[in-house]
Amino acid sequence: METWTIVAKLIGAGLAIGLGAIGPGVGIGILGMGAMNALGRNPEARGAIMTNMILGIAFAEAVAIYALVIAILLIFVA
Amino acid sequence: MIGKKHRGSLLKIVVLAVALFTMIIISFIGSHVGSGIIGSEPLSLLNVEAPKYHPAPERPFHQLPITNTMITAWISITALGSLFFFGTRKMKLVPTGLQNFLELIVEAAANFIEDPAGKKHGAWFFPVCTTIFLFIVANAWVSLIPGFETVHINGEPLFRSANTDLNIPAALAVISFCYVEYWGFKAKGISYLKTFFHFGPLWQAIKLILVGNIKAGAGGLLNGFVAVFAGLLEILSHLIRMVSFTFRLFGNMTAGMILVMIMIFLVPWVLPSLFYGMEAFFGFIQAMIFAGLTLGFACAAVMEEE
Repeated sequence: METWTIVAKLIGAGLAIGLGAIGPGVGIGILGMGAMNALGRNPEARGAIMTNMILGIAFAEAVAIYALVIAILLIFVA
Repeated sequence: MIGKKHRGSLLKIVVLAVALFTMIIISFIGSHVGSGIIGSEPLSLLNVEAPKYHPAPERPFHQLPITNTMITAWISITALGSLFFFGTRKMKLVPTGLQNFLELIVEAAANFIEDPAGKKHGAWFFPVCTTIFLFIVANAWVSLIPGFETVHINGEPLFRSANTDLNIPAALAVISFCYVEYWGFKAKGISYLKTFFHFGPLWQAIKLILVGNIKAGAGGLLNGFVAVFAGLLEILSHLIRMVSFTFRLFGNMTAGMILVMIMIFLVPWVLPSLFYGMEAFFGFIQAMIFAGLTLGFACAAVMEEE
């Protein structure tokens, strides 16, 4: 394989996961903020808030995982 | 501040924390990367080889088209099957032991499903959603057994977590998609197709125009086109669901596997255990999300409009 192809692949993979992690990072931050606000207002609902926050985080994280899959495909498969 | 009784246990905790921290530092310095930083030879005990990731599952028996992920899937199926078979063989009205545990699982799943779906539809969804959940969770946890991926035959690993093979999440996604459409037709009959091909408002608007009521017809025409377009988008969203289901599970499990491998490469002691525990948690969460999303889409498919 040509050197430049490898370079382009590695840069592409790095950009894919790096840019793809921005959105979910912000999203998880907002989720955490919402959960903390809710906890401050209603400390008794700790269990329900925790469960739903983790579910929401898993959904937000899935978007980063898609970017990770693209990066893995770029490096190992393409 | 701290009573005399607690001082001893506090001391123990501090000593333990210091010991663990020292082990982390030593193992990092002795490992491949750390010894490169300080410019010494890596210790042979800590020199783990760099992780290699193969996207495609390996075939341990070269002639047979059996991949190692399939073998793991069979193991988890057998484990689940025998667990439920032996747990429910001598059933008692007041459950004890294993039967008690299994009833706990089934009851929690039934409550989880009947909450949004109701009694009637919950009975439809329960078998499929619970099976998907148990299968994914078994696959994820079977691969966490220590030494699981170290068994080699013919130079290839004999076992590998079934969720890290793209085909198995894809198969589950197709099953979930088919069941959602089947339930949609079962609940609404042929009128379920109206979700996708919603021509009603458009025909009415055209009728109005043909009758001569241009002003009302023109407004209706726009709404009609929007309804048709929304139906087409619905088809797309149902199909894209399969892709996102597949990659969510596959990506999470693969990322977890690579993360643990890289952590063992960087810091061979103590620290990988944390990520190992996190993997157990994420396997459970991903299984719950897969089953929960199937449930949510199924509820949306069988829901009566208005």
